[in-house]
Amino acid sequence: MSATEDQADVEKVLAGDASAFEGIVRRWQGPIVNLAYRFCRDRARAEDMAQDAFLRAFRTLASWRREAAFSTWLFALATNLFRTDLRRIPVHPLPLVDIPELRDPRAIDGGLEDEDRDRAVREAVYALPTKYREAILLFYFHEMDVPAAARSLAMPEGTFKARLFRGREVLRSKLAKVRVSPGLREEIP
Amino acid sequence: MTRDELDRILSAEDRIVPSSGFAASVMDAVRREAATPPPIPFPWKRALPGLVVGIVALAGLIVAGFALRASAIAAAAPATLSLHQLIAAARVAAQQADGAGWIALTLLLTLASVFFSFRATGSRT
Repeated sequence: MSATEDQADVEKVLAGDASAFEGIVRRWQGPIVNLAYRFCRDRARAEDMAQDAFLRAFRTLASWRREAAFSTWLFALATNLFRTDLRRIPVHPLPLVDIPELRDPRAIDGGLEDEDRDRAVREAVYALPTKYREAILLFYFHEMDVPAAARSLAMPEGTFKARLFRGREVLRSKLAKVRVSPGLREEIP
Repeated sequence: MTRDELDRILSAEDRIVPSSGFAASVMDAVRREAATPPPIPFPWKRALPGLVVGIVALAGLIVAGFALRASAIAAAAPATLSLHQLIAAARVAAQQADGAGWIALTLLLTLASVFFSFRATGSRT
Protein backbone atom coordinates (compact mmCIF):
# COMPACT_ATOMS: atom_id res chain seq x y z
CA MET A 1 0.00 0.00 0.00
CA SER A 2 2.62 2.46 1.15
CA ALA A 3 4.97 1.39 -1.64
CA THR A 4 2.44 2.17 -4.34
CA GLU A 5 1.58 5.47 -2.67
CA ASP A 6 5.27 6.31 -2.53
CA GLN A 7 5.67 5.47 -6.19
CA ALA A 8 2.65 7.55 -7.18
CA ASP A 9 3.85 10.53 -5.15
CA VAL A 10 7.34 10.28 -6.60
CA GLU A 11 5.93 10.28 -10.12
CA LYS A 12 3.87 13.37 -9.35
CA VAL A 13 6.85 15.19 -7.84
CA LEU A 14 9.02 14.30 -10.81
CA ALA A 15 6.29 15.60 -13.07
CA GLY A 16 6.56 18.97 -11.33
CA ASP A 17 4.01 18.75 -8.51
CA ALA A 18 6.16 19.55 -5.47
CA SER A 19 3.16 19.43 -3.12
CA ALA A 20 2.90 15.65 -3.72
CA PHE A 21 6.05 15.31 -1.67
CA GLU A 22 3.94 16.01 1.42
CA GLY A 23 2.52 12.49 1.26
CA ILE A 24 6.03 11.09 1.44
CA VAL A 25 6.93 13.36 4.34
CA ARG A 26 3.82 12.42 6.29
CA ARG A 27 4.34 8.70 5.75
CA TRP A 28 8.02 8.67 6.60
CA GLN A 29 8.49 11.50 9.09
CA GLY A 30 8.20 9.18 12.11
CA PRO A 31 10.81 6.63 11.01
CA ILE A 32 13.23 9.24 9.67
CA VAL A 33 13.04 11.45 12.77
CA ASN A 34 13.50 8.38 14.95
CA LEU A 35 16.44 7.21 12.90
CA ALA A 36 18.04 10.64 13.29
CA TYR A 37 17.27 10.57 17.01
CA ARG A 38 19.07 7.27 17.38
CA PHE A 39 22.14 8.84 15.87
CA CYS A 40 22.19 12.08 17.85
CA ARG A 41 19.99 11.57 20.95
CA ASP A 42 18.76 15.15 20.64
CA ARG A 43 15.19 15.75 19.61
CA ALA A 44 15.66 19.21 18.08
CA ARG A 45 18.75 18.14 16.19
CA ALA A 46 17.00 14.98 15.05
CA GLU A 47 14.23 17.05 13.45
CA ASP A 48 16.78 19.29 11.74
CA MET A 49 18.65 16.27 10.44
CA ALA A 50 15.43 14.64 9.28
CA GLN A 51 14.40 17.83 7.47
CA ASP A 52 17.75 17.88 5.69
CA ALA A 53 17.22 14.25 4.71
CA PHE A 54 13.80 14.99 3.22
CA LEU A 55 15.18 17.97 1.34
CA ARG A 56 18.02 15.86 -0.03
CA ALA A 57 15.47 13.21 -1.01
CA PHE A 58 13.41 15.84 -2.81
CA ARG A 59 16.44 17.12 -4.70
CA THR A 60 17.65 13.67 -5.72
CA LEU A 61 14.33 11.94 -6.19
CA ALA A 62 15.14 11.22 -9.82
CA SER A 63 18.06 9.05 -8.72
CA TRP A 64 15.76 6.51 -7.04
CA ARG A 65 15.93 3.37 -9.14
CA ARG A 66 12.69 1.46 -8.97
CA GLU A 67 14.40 -1.89 -8.40
CA ALA A 68 14.71 -1.09 -4.68
CA ALA A 69 11.83 -0.07 -2.45
CA PHE A 70 11.47 3.66 -1.95
CA SER A 71 11.88 3.18 1.80
CA THR A 72 15.21 1.38 1.25
CA TRP A 73 16.47 4.27 -0.86
CA LEU A 74 15.19 6.84 1.63
CA PHE A 75 16.75 5.11 4.64
CA ALA A 76 20.08 4.72 2.86
CA LEU A 77 20.06 8.38 1.86
CA ALA A 78 19.11 9.49 5.37
CA THR A 79 21.63 7.21 7.05
CA ASN A 80 24.40 8.48 4.82
CA LEU A 81 23.43 12.08 5.58
CA PHE A 82 23.20 11.46 9.34
CA ARG A 83 26.59 9.77 9.40
CA THR A 84 28.13 12.75 7.61
CA ASP A 85 26.38 15.16 9.93
CA LEU A 86 27.60 13.31 13.00
CA ARG A 87 31.14 13.30 11.66
CA ARG A 88 30.90 17.07 11.16
CA ILE A 89 29.39 17.81 14.58
CA PRO A 90 29.90 14.71 16.72
CA VAL A 91 27.88 13.77 19.72
CA HIS A 92 30.32 13.45 22.59
CA PRO A 93 29.45 10.30 24.48
CA LEU A 94 31.05 9.44 27.77
CA PRO A 95 33.98 7.09 27.32
CA LEU A 96 32.94 3.59 28.31
CA VAL A 97 35.07 3.69 31.43
CA ASP A 98 33.40 6.91 32.58
CA ILE A 99 29.85 5.67 32.50
CA PRO A 100 28.90 5.95 36.18
CA GLU A 101 26.83 2.81 36.31
CA LEU A 102 29.76 0.78 35.16
CA ARG A 103 32.02 2.03 37.90
CA ASP A 104 29.77 0.64 40.53
CA PRO A 105 27.70 -2.03 38.87
CA ARG A 106 26.47 -3.62 42.09
CA ALA A 107 23.81 -1.44 43.56
CA ILE A 108 22.78 -1.76 47.20
CA ASP A 109 20.01 -4.16 46.35
CA GLY A 110 22.45 -6.37 44.54
CA GLY A 111 21.66 -5.24 41.03
CA LEU A 112 21.01 -2.12 39.03
CA GLU A 113 17.43 -1.11 38.59
CA ASP A 114 16.08 -1.96 35.16
CA GLU A 115 15.97 1.66 34.12
CA ASP A 116 19.52 2.36 35.20
CA ARG A 117 20.79 -0.78 33.56
CA ASP A 118 19.02 0.01 30.30
CA ARG A 119 20.47 3.49 30.38
CA ALA A 120 23.93 2.10 31.02
CA VAL A 121 23.56 -0.22 28.04
CA ARG A 122 22.44 2.60 25.76
CA GLU A 123 25.22 4.88 26.91
CA ALA A 124 27.65 2.06 26.31
CA VAL A 125 26.35 1.78 22.74
CA TYR A 126 27.04 5.48 22.18
CA ALA A 127 30.56 5.05 23.53
CA LEU A 128 31.36 2.35 20.96
CA PRO A 129 33.63 3.10 17.99
CA THR A 130 31.56 4.64 15.19
CA LYS A 131 31.49 1.61 12.87
CA TYR A 132 30.19 -0.70 15.58
CA ARG A 133 27.79 1.89 16.96
CA GLU A 134 26.24 2.48 13.53
CA ALA A 135 25.83 -1.24 12.93
CA ILE A 136 24.10 -1.71 16.27
CA LEU A 137 21.89 1.37 15.90
CA LEU A 138 20.72 0.35 12.44
CA PHE A 139 20.22 -3.29 13.38
CA TYR A 140 17.83 -2.45 16.19
CA PHE A 141 16.21 0.40 14.27
CA HIS A 142 15.33 -2.09 11.52
CA GLU A 143 13.97 -4.50 14.12
CA MET A 144 16.93 -6.87 13.81
CA ASP A 145 16.58 -7.18 10.04
CA VAL A 146 20.18 -7.66 8.88
CA PRO A 147 19.60 -7.15 5.12
CA ALA A 148 17.63 -3.94 5.70
CA ALA A 149 20.24 -2.56 8.09
CA ALA A 150 23.08 -3.47 5.73
CA ARG A 151 21.30 -1.76 2.85
CA SER A 152 20.83 1.39 4.93
CA LEU A 153 24.54 1.48 5.60
CA ALA A 154 25.26 0.62 1.96
CA MET A 155 27.55 -2.24 2.87
CA PRO A 156 27.60 -5.98 2.14
CA GLU A 157 25.71 -8.13 4.61
CA GLY A 158 28.89 -9.99 5.53
CA THR A 159 30.65 -6.79 6.54
CA PHE A 160 27.61 -5.66 8.44
CA LYS A 161 27.34 -8.95 10.32
CA ALA A 162 31.02 -8.80 11.24
CA ARG A 163 30.63 -5.28 12.62
CA LEU A 164 27.48 -6.18 14.47
CA PHE A 165 29.11 -9.23 16.00
CA ARG A 166 32.20 -7.30 17.03
CA GLY A 167 30.11 -4.43 18.40
CA ARG A 168 28.04 -6.78 20.49
CA GLU A 169 31.15 -8.51 21.77
CA VAL A 170 32.67 -5.19 22.83
CA LEU A 171 29.39 -4.21 24.49
CA ARG A 172 29.10 -7.52 26.30
CA SER A 173 32.66 -7.36 27.54
CA LYS A 174 32.19 -3.81 28.79
CA LEU A 175 28.87 -4.60 30.38
CA ALA A 176 29.81 -8.00 31.76
CA LYS A 177 29.65 -6.72 35.31
CA VAL A 178 26.21 -5.20 34.99
CA ARG A 179 23.81 -7.30 36.97
CA VAL A 180 20.32 -7.80 35.77
CA SER A 181 17.49 -7.18 38.16
CA PRO A 182 15.97 -10.00 40.23
CA GLY A 183 13.93 -12.32 38.10
CA LEU A 184 16.28 -11.95 35.19
CA ARG A 185 19.40 -13.94 34.58
CA GLU A 186 22.63 -12.88 36.28
CA GLU A 187 25.96 -13.38 34.66
CA ILE A 188 28.19 -12.49 37.58
CA PRO A 189 29.06 -15.60 39.57
CA MET B 1 24.90 -9.82 30.08
CA THR B 2 23.61 -12.16 27.39
CA ARG B 3 22.86 -11.42 23.78
CA ASP B 4 19.14 -11.85 24.49
CA GLU B 5 19.40 -9.28 27.24
CA LEU B 6 21.11 -6.85 24.91
CA ASP B 7 18.53 -7.51 22.20
CA ARG B 8 15.69 -6.93 24.63
CA ILE B 9 17.10 -3.67 25.97
CA LEU B 10 18.17 -2.21 22.65
CA SER B 11 14.99 -3.22 20.86
CA ALA B 12 12.97 -1.35 23.45
CA GLU B 13 14.59 1.95 22.49
CA ASP B 14 12.38 5.00 23.11
CA ARG B 15 10.53 6.25 20.08
CA ILE B 16 9.83 9.92 19.62
CA VAL B 17 6.97 11.53 17.76
CA PRO B 18 7.85 14.34 15.35
CA SER B 19 6.55 17.72 16.46
CA SER B 20 3.21 18.77 15.01
CA GLY B 21 4.73 21.37 12.70
CA PHE B 22 7.47 19.14 11.37
CA ALA B 23 5.81 18.10 8.11
CA ALA B 24 4.70 21.68 7.42
CA SER B 25 8.21 22.94 8.07
CA VAL B 26 9.68 20.36 5.69
CA MET B 27 7.14 21.25 3.03
CA ASP B 28 7.95 24.97 3.39
CA ALA B 29 11.59 24.13 2.75
CA VAL B 30 10.61 21.89 -0.17
CA ARG B 31 8.48 24.62 -1.75
CA ARG B 32 11.31 27.13 -1.36
CA GLU B 33 13.61 24.61 -2.98
CA ALA B 34 11.16 24.00 -5.82
CA ALA B 35 10.78 27.74 -6.40
CA THR B 36 14.52 28.28 -6.68
CA PRO B 37 15.62 28.21 -10.31
CA PRO B 38 18.10 25.45 -11.10
CA PRO B 39 21.76 26.51 -11.15
CA ILE B 40 23.10 27.57 -14.54
CA PRO B 41 25.36 24.80 -15.78
CA PHE B 42 28.90 25.67 -16.77
CA PRO B 43 29.03 26.20 -20.55
CA TRP B 44 31.42 23.37 -21.28
CA LYS B 45 30.67 23.31 -25.00
CA ARG B 46 31.74 26.92 -25.41
CA ALA B 47 34.65 26.75 -23.00
CA LEU B 48 36.11 23.48 -24.24
CA PRO B 49 37.82 24.76 -27.44
CA GLY B 50 39.38 27.63 -25.50
CA LEU B 51 40.57 25.26 -22.79
CA VAL B 52 42.10 22.88 -25.32
CA VAL B 53 43.88 25.74 -27.11
CA GLY B 54 45.14 27.05 -23.78
CA ILE B 55 46.47 23.65 -22.72
CA VAL B 56 48.21 23.06 -26.05
CA ALA B 57 49.71 26.58 -26.03
CA LEU B 58 50.97 26.15 -22.47
CA ALA B 59 52.52 22.78 -23.23
CA GLY B 60 54.10 24.18 -26.41
CA LEU B 61 55.48 27.14 -24.50
CA ILE B 62 57.10 24.89 -21.92
CA VAL B 63 58.63 22.61 -24.54
CA ALA B 64 59.86 25.62 -26.57
CA GLY B 65 61.40 27.13 -23.45
CA PHE B 66 63.36 24.00 -22.73
CA ALA B 67 64.41 23.64 -26.39
CA LEU B 68 65.63 27.24 -26.40
CA ARG B 69 67.66 26.63 -23.26
CA ALA B 70 69.14 23.45 -24.68
CA SER B 71 70.18 25.23 -27.88
CA ALA B 72 71.74 28.04 -25.84
CA ILE B 73 73.76 25.49 -23.89
CA ALA B 74 74.82 23.83 -27.14
CA ALA B 75 75.87 27.17 -28.64
CA ALA B 76 77.93 28.00 -25.57
CA ALA B 77 79.72 24.67 -25.71
CA PRO B 78 83.27 24.51 -27.17
CA ALA B 79 83.47 23.82 -30.89
CA THR B 80 85.44 20.65 -30.46
CA LEU B 81 84.08 18.12 -28.03
CA SER B 82 85.51 14.87 -26.98
CA LEU B 83 83.26 11.85 -27.32
CA HIS B 84 82.89 11.74 -23.54
CA GLN B 85 81.75 15.41 -23.37
CA LEU B 86 79.37 14.87 -26.27
CA ILE B 87 77.70 11.94 -24.54
CA ALA B 88 77.44 13.91 -21.30
CA ALA B 89 75.86 16.89 -23.12
CA ALA B 90 73.44 14.61 -24.95
CA ARG B 91 72.48 12.99 -21.67
CA VAL B 92 71.75 16.41 -20.07
CA ALA B 93 69.71 17.50 -23.07
CA ALA B 94 67.77 14.25 -23.04
CA GLN B 95 67.05 14.63 -19.33
CA GLN B 96 65.80 18.19 -19.85
CA ALA B 97 63.62 17.19 -22.75
CA ASP B 98 62.31 14.29 -20.71
CA GLY B 99 61.56 16.66 -17.81
CA ALA B 100 59.68 19.02 -20.09
CA GLY B 101 57.62 16.15 -21.37
CA TRP B 102 56.77 15.07 -17.86
CA ILE B 103 55.81 18.61 -16.90
CA ALA B 104 53.56 18.86 -19.94
CA LEU B 105 52.00 15.50 -19.13
CA THR B 106 51.44 16.50 -15.50
CA LEU B 107 49.80 19.74 -16.61
CA LEU B 108 47.56 17.87 -19.00
CA LEU B 109 46.55 15.37 -16.33
CA THR B 110 45.85 18.15 -13.83
CA LEU B 111 43.68 20.03 -16.28
CA ALA B 112 41.91 16.83 -17.30
CA SER B 113 41.16 15.99 -13.65
CA VAL B 114 39.83 19.52 -13.06
CA PHE B 115 37.72 19.18 -16.18
CA PHE B 116 36.24 15.83 -15.15
CA SER B 117 35.63 16.88 -11.56
CA PHE B 118 33.76 19.98 -12.78
CA ARG B 119 31.76 17.78 -15.10
CA ALA B 120 30.98 15.27 -12.35
CA THR B 121 29.82 17.91 -9.88
CA GLY B 122 28.02 19.84 -12.58
CA SER B 123 26.02 16.80 -13.61
CA ARG B 124 24.78 16.29 -10.05
CA THR B 125 23.42 19.80 -9.58
